[in-house]
Amino acid sequence: MESMIFEELQNAVIEGDSEKSVSLAKNALEAGIPPLDVITNGLAKGVKTVGDLFSEGQVFLVELILAGDAMKAGMSVLLPVIKESKAEMISAGKVMIGTVQGDIHSIGKDIVGTLLEADGFEVLNVGEDVQSETFMEKVKEHKPDVLGLSSLLTVTMPAQKDVIEKLKASGLRGDVKVIVGGAPTTQEWADEIGADGWAGDAVSAVSLVKQLIKG
Amino acid sequence: MYRLLGRGEISAVHTAAMEVLERIGVVIQHDAALKKLADAGATVDDKTKVVKIPEYMVHDALQKSPRRHKLIARNPKYNIVIGDGDSYFTNAFGAHYTIDLETGERRLSTIKDLEEFTLLADYFQTVDYIKPNILPQDVPKSVWEQEMALAMFKSAEKHLSLVALTPEGWRDVIEMAKIYAGGEDEFIKNPSIIDTGFNNVPPLKYTREIIDMVLECAKYRIPFDISTGLLSSASGPVTLAGTIVQGIAENHAIVVLAQLIGPGTPIMWGSCATILDQRYGTAAYGSPENGLIHAAFCQMAHYYGLPYYGAAGVIDSKVPDQQAAYENTMNVLLATVSGADVVHDAVYGIVEAGVTASYEMFAISNDICGAIKRISKGIQVTPETLAVDIIETVGHEKNHLNTPEALKFTKKHLLEEQWQPLISNRTSRPEWEKRGSKTIEDVAREKVKEILLTHKIEPLDKKMESAMRKLIEDRTKKTKSN
Ligand code: B1M
Repeated sequence: MESMIFEELQNAVIEGDSEKSVSLAKNALEAGIPPLDVITNGLAKGVKTVGDLFSEGQVFLVELILAGDAMKAGMSVLLPVIKESKAEMISAGKVMIGTVQGDIHSIGKDIVGTLLEADGFEVLNVGEDVQSETFMEKVKEHKPDVLGLSSLLTVTMPAQKDVIEKLKASGLRGDVKVIVGGAPTTQEWADEIGADGWAGDAVSAVSLVKQLIKG
Repeated sequence: MYRLLGRGEISAVHTAAMEVLERIGVVIQHDAALKKLADAGATVDDKTKVVKIPEYMVHDALQKSPRRHKLIARNPKYNIVIGDGDSYFTNAFGAHYTIDLETGERRLSTIKDLEEFTLLADYFQTVDYIKPNILPQDVPKSVWEQEMALAMFKSAEKHLSLVALTPEGWRDVIEMAKIYAGGEDEFIKNPSIIDTGFNNVPPLKYTREIIDMVLECAKYRIPFDISTGLLSSASGPVTLAGTIVQGIAENHAIVVLAQLIGPGTPIMWGSCATILDQRYGTAAYGSPENGLIHAAFCQMAHYYGLPYYGAAGVIDSKVPDQQAAYENTMNVLLATVSGADVVHDAVYGIVEAGVTASYEMFAISNDICGAIKRISKGIQVTPETLAVDIIETVGHEKNHLNTPEALKFTKKHLLEEQWQPLISNRTSRPEWEKRGSKTIEDVAREKVKEILLTHKIEPLDKKMESAMRKLIEDRTKKTKSN
């Protein structure tokens, strides 16, 4: 019974069917399956499958995003119950991501965010043209494990450095790993400005975040 | 001429675009611009900064927007008229990295690269006016646009399109252009001695900085290109028809604004849109869909009586290889045969979609674009070119290499009939082997080195140069003291 519901949930997510995901999550709760198991063995597994296939170039971005949405839809049924029972939610980690001040390129950063979500990370996407000060405030408020700074323009790359400097100055640097990315950035640039890592595409960004959170 | 859309389709696209402008609107994050638009009849939401523009305002603006305009060069033999029926080609824009000509290594771009690419663009016959191929990484960002402008003023006699990234930097560049034009009065008379270009922020948005710089252009009537940068299935709809509709609404918002501020400001109306590759999540420029977008957009531009500007020749390949060559060829050709007035990014000295400059690719693309220009020139049909007399004289036994009349005829028409590539190999095999069995990349590298050594231009007037240098120094001092 359980394994059948898990499989159906996985399929609902893989098909990107939010409605089905919600109704199956409800069924699972009614059947008395612990909500954390429903996530781990059902929803999250489905998204992981799609995420892995995307990394291999086997599914399209749109399918990945729809799978993520279906997972979130299912979660919305489960989360209140988890909160009530005070069970510990095991998220893979919390990642905050945004494009730095002066830069409005959004698509690359959004894709990185989507793929991280698919891999079970809690992602806070803070948008584009984000001032360094705003990053500070949000880091204080949300305490992410990793902060991701995207920059697509030569003129805005220094803003990545600026955020790192400001984190240092306000004593927050030790609490959060910082990664950078975007077309003109490189590993050398990341080293130079004292970031914890660099990724050239969304798939490597996910491996990088995993590695940083583990280490 | 290739015509992708039928009349009914053009009209349907237009109607849909007007609906987007009137009903959905465009975000313009600039209060003064919003006020101007509201005063002229648009509906503005002060909170969301969405402006909804009725169709009659578009028609008014199109009336004022020139169908053709001149771009003036330092050397008048390079003056061109955009919109005169020819397709004019530019080189590529904006590489942060460069594949070093000597070492073959990918390294940060320098101001010297910018000078060299500009000098090459001056030399290559396919480049009709010149864009900043390089974004140099070895000059301070506080005077970035200014240093780039000076490097370009020094390195070419053709018309220059300069980069506008920040309102402050752009104002300084305009001051430098006044020096270049021979004084303020001269510049006011001939502002098209320079031009620049802008993108929107798709979907349907413009930032304050972009609008500031557009207004500055309109004030002086400096020509500029405006091109939607949407990516289908990411910042615009997956359907190509919908992509065109959104792009028209985005571009038209700027035409309306610019013609309100500076009636008669020349606008090159265009697209650097393409698709997002859904498998890899990358912007795919060397895609056939990109070519189709240009073909359709170009027809719409002409329907509106505007010159079309299409960023068509962008290459996704990471090195100057076979993929690079076919990507460049396919879309420059399609844009050209569709009648694009400006094929931007045509002579493409960059790989990796705008990120890494390649000297070799520039020379290869020069040959590709030369061939395409030849195709676009077409076949001349006159009693003389139909050549019946010569066919008769040569008859059945002789040929065109051993008949004096035919030789004369060939000599007379050769250069207008046959295009001569600069580096493409057409020798016999033994000859090719004798010359070292070189690949096109090797030949391109050698050719570029030779041009850089031998191509000389009329130097920039020393007084002008030092006046520009002083302007840059003053700006540096001001930045430091702040
Ligand atoms: C935190 O951790 C990480 C880890 C990995 C990370 C990461 C963060 N962030 C990204 N990654 C990585 O993973 C992602 C997924 O694999 C990848 O993200 P990417 O963003 O690289 O990839 C995306 C999925 C698809 N790629 C993109 O979305 C960018 C494609 C290109 C063509 C591009 C686009 C589309 C746009 N642009 Co712009 N644009 C270009 C780009 C050329 C290029 N080849 O990159 C580039 C970046 N743009 C450039 C320029 C100059 C500009 N653009 C501008 C505007 C735009 C559009 C609005 C038209 C549009 C963006 C639309 C939008 N909503 O995002 C202007 C900037 C305005 C501003 N203040 O920001 C303007 C200044 C143009 C102008 N004169 O108006 C050039 C930058 C040159 C430079 N080095 O400074 C440019 C290289 C193109 C060029 N040569 O002209 C990786 O980089």
